[in-house]
Amino acid sequence: MPHRSPGPLSPPGRRTLPAVVALVAAIGLVAAGCGSTKSSSGSGGAASGSSSAATSGGSAGSSTSKPVPLVLYAAEGYDAAEGAAFQKATGIPTTVDDNSTGPLTTKIEAEGRNPHWDLFWVDGATVFAGLDQLHLLLKGWEPSATSNYNAVGASLVPADKSYIPTGVTMAAALVYNTKLVKNPPTAWAQLTESQWKGAVGMNDPSVSGPTYPYVAGIMQQLGGVPQGEAFFQKLKANGLHIYQTNTNTLQALETGVIKLATVQSSAGIGAGFGNKDIKVEYLKYETVLPSCLGISAYVSKQAQAEAKRFVEFVLSPAGQRVMQSGDPHGDSLFFPLVNGESPLPAVGTPLADIPTQNLNPYVWGPRENSLNSWFTSHIIQ
Amino acid sequence: MTSLVDEPAGPPRAGAISPAAPVGFGFSRRFALRVPQLAFGTVVWAVLALLLIVPILFFLVMAFSPRLLGQGRSWFTLGSFRQVFTGFFAHSLVDSLWLSVTCALLAVAIALALAWGVQRTDMPGKRVWPLAVWSLLLMPSFLVAEGWEYLLQPHGVLNQFGIPSAWAYGIFFGPVGVVFVDTMAIVPFCYMAVSVSLANLGSEFEDAARVHGGGRWRTARVVVPILAPAIMSALAIGFAETISDFGVAATLAASANFPVATYSLFDAVNNLPANFGAAAAISWILVATAAIPIALQARALRGRSYAVLSGRTRQPSRRRLTTRGKVLAAGGASLLFLLALGAPILGAAFASLLKNFGVSFSASAFTLANYRLVFDGTAGLAGPLEYSSILGVVTATIVAALGLVVARMMTARGVGAVGKLIDLVLIGSVALPGIVLGAGYIFAFNLPIANRLGVALYGTTTLLAMGYVATSLPSQARLMVGPVSQLQESLLHAARVHGAGGAGAWARSALPVLSRLLLWAWLLTFAKTLLEYPVSSLLYPPGSTPVAVAINNFVGTSAHYGEATAMSVLAMLEMFGVIAIGLAAFRLLAPRGWQRIGGFIDV
Repeated sequence: MPHRSPGPLSPPGRRTLPAVVALVAAIGLVAAGCGSTKSSSGSGGAASGSSSAATSGGSAGSSTSKPVPLVLYAAEGYDAAEGAAFQKATGIPTTVDDNSTGPLTTKIEAEGRNPHWDLFWVDGATVFAGLDQLHLLLKGWEPSATSNYNAVGASLVPADKSYIPTGVTMAAALVYNTKLVKNPPTAWAQLTESQWKGAVGMNDPSVSGPTYPYVAGIMQQLGGVPQGEAFFQKLKANGLHIYQTNTNTLQALETGVIKLATVQSSAGIGAGFGNKDIKVEYLKYETVLPSCLGISAYVSKQAQAEAKRFVEFVLSPAGQRVMQSGDPHGDSLFFPLVNGESPLPAVGTPLADIPTQNLNPYVWGPRENSLNSWFTSHIIQ
Repeated sequence: MTSLVDEPAGPPRAGAISPAAPVGFGFSRRFALRVPQLAFGTVVWAVLALLLIVPILFFLVMAFSPRLLGQGRSWFTLGSFRQVFTGFFAHSLVDSLWLSVTCALLAVAIALALAWGVQRTDMPGKRVWPLAVWSLLLMPSFLVAEGWEYLLQPHGVLNQFGIPSAWAYGIFFGPVGVVFVDTMAIVPFCYMAVSVSLANLGSEFEDAARVHGGGRWRTARVVVPILAPAIMSALAIGFAETISDFGVAATLAASANFPVATYSLFDAVNNLPANFGAAAAISWILVATAAIPIALQARALRGRSYAVLSGRTRQPSRRRLTTRGKVLAAGGASLLFLLALGAPILGAAFASLLKNFGVSFSASAFTLANYRLVFDGTAGLAGPLEYSSILGVVTATIVAALGLVVARMMTARGVGAVGKLIDLVLIGSVALPGIVLGAGYIFAFNLPIANRLGVALYGTTTLLAMGYVATSLPSQARLMVGPVSQLQESLLHAARVHGAGGAGAWARSALPVLSRLLLWAWLLTFAKTLLEYPVSSLLYPPGSTPVAVAINNFVGTSAHYGEATAMSVLAMLEMFGVIAIGLAAFRLLAPRGWQRIGGFIDV
């Protein structure tokens, strides 16, 4: 048995002194931090210029002299190309932080009113509606190009002008192999028919971002959440296959495990580059999934002015070319919103010919978690 | 046999010649003598406060007062706790608890058996198994999970070679797979804890027991209690590592719809608006549950000394196994590592070498195109690898040095409450997933006051490096506690008696004994940092992408999917390459004496 040692040579209390000193310092830091946060949160949503030194490098007010560097948080395939093109065109140093939507949104929320981003650019209006409700987005400004938007584009501009739609894809397009399927379904309801038993595949909305708008869109057009839930339960009873992401669902389609895949339109069109037999159909109604740009409410006026120039550049003919060349087999396969702009030839069907519907992001955004949980427990498991 | 593990007996007690305990001096003199020690202690605590305590407190405080950090409306609420004890969150907590207990017990059993086989028997391949264990530790758990997915998924690698894998997919992508991957992920921690103690034990205790007529059972009763700190430590760290794991939680467990606490925490943060309150409440519960085994460990070890490592420690003799024993031992170990390591590595390697894998089913021809793209493709993945490598070197160096200092503070005689407090901070940090640290860092280091004071660290590489240090320091320091506690004070005192100064005594007596420990701490931290994801994704400065973020971004796109698989394989190769170079350099350059004694691990 190990021996019990005599008591420690010095009482423990003495050695705790350094710990106490350090902890007091730490608590002091916490208290100081809380005080400052309190004061900034107490100032309300209107005080936009006050806490901007970090991003603007403290040069706010010197708008005529040196440009302040812009930081773009983005999750688009063409974002880096667009940042580089903008910098080249304007001389404004632009850094692109390209990451997934999840970590970017977490950063934006944690940064709160001391943001390190000037612009945010990802797919899905629900994300922006959420940030708008947290008062983190600049409101009331729209670029000149929106006056020249097509009908779909105009319908997507929010009433408070807190974000700017820049292009759309469809959630979800019907993708199939023309060698295996001669007569694809022409309406969503047909997917539950016995003819397509075990033949339909889709992504898990908890894993794949663009799948929630598809699920919500089905619910909206069928008249509500209960009707939509009934539809997906019928699909499940008809042998629905669920995979993690577009890549997995499209693999299943190519190998013939499923005959019909319902995935984001750009992914479906992209799959056609590798396999010429893959085709995309749009059913009534397709839910529009916009990519959007938002400007921070809490950066300097100069940074906001430059961010506005960035938005104008993206929607200019030169900026649209960059959006269409930055990720030619992926995100570049979108439908432009500015009149006179055409989608890439591979996209095929013109936007005007697709029966579309919009989701109100302020209504469907807050439901995302509960509906995804329902989907996991009732459809996947 | 108790005297064998007693403190060195006799009057020249350690404390008697220590300058820290003079008798008969006035208060001011005693205080003056203690100043350097106090100052040193304060610096270490300040570093711990800056790296771990303050950022974590910033996050945890939101469980009670989200408004304090501008993230909600309430100044004080217990609503977050009510939320996490119901529904989805409660389910995930229960899953996490049984999963962590199961994995810790399994991993300690595997680690003990393997360590005993390698160090005390003539089991074949005794140089290979420790390497395999370390390779396991280097593999981020998400890569293991992804490797299996490449292999087993409906159109995965096995399927493409005509091997049906659907049945295995069904089994593996569920609790069974989660238990397996999580257990194997913590086997190295448990192995490290028990094997170091076993190696440093020397054979004298067994020999003494046998000489005095003890049979195998009696011998085990002498030896096992001496290993108790190591076993307890292994169980505690295994439990804490499993309950805090995010790699498996976010991949295998999430896709198998097996929700665990870290994933529900991630889900709460990822929600929009983020539910930081619920995430903080889950964090409190994680810290509390991880503290339980630590408390039990401390209670079991209270007032005992396990110091056995000295300059006189002898190499143990090995037991000879029968042929059947050898076949069973080697076969069992081979199967284990084939499943834990070989399969996912092969999965990732094949996925990266198959043309169009993951994009089209016509993936049949082998190609090196993905590797070429890593270096000259549009995605530019070579830069991230270089950036993460540099950060890995810096982080590993800081963690090895700081970990030793912290472990020494925890094990120094008479630390009592301080040691326990440090232990609580470390284990609390181990129990929290990286996303808590990442978000806590943003709250703490992005305060307007920090900008006004001119210490705007958020968004800099410095803060990312600090985050990495904070990620690795707790587990490395705790792992060092075992070997450092075995270091007999007499070794240092002997050096002091022979005229060495404080630092000199450490450098000449303790450093050689702990050199391999430091080397491994360095290598392990480097490997962990190279592919760290959660902290990286929240703290990297825009424009400088760490490799794990780059891989994660491209694995989700069909255009760069192949490059991402190649990048994973290259990052793994780099990890193993650095380990091999580190070990070879130690073997070639370190003095012979360093290599012989205080063997951290026998490779």
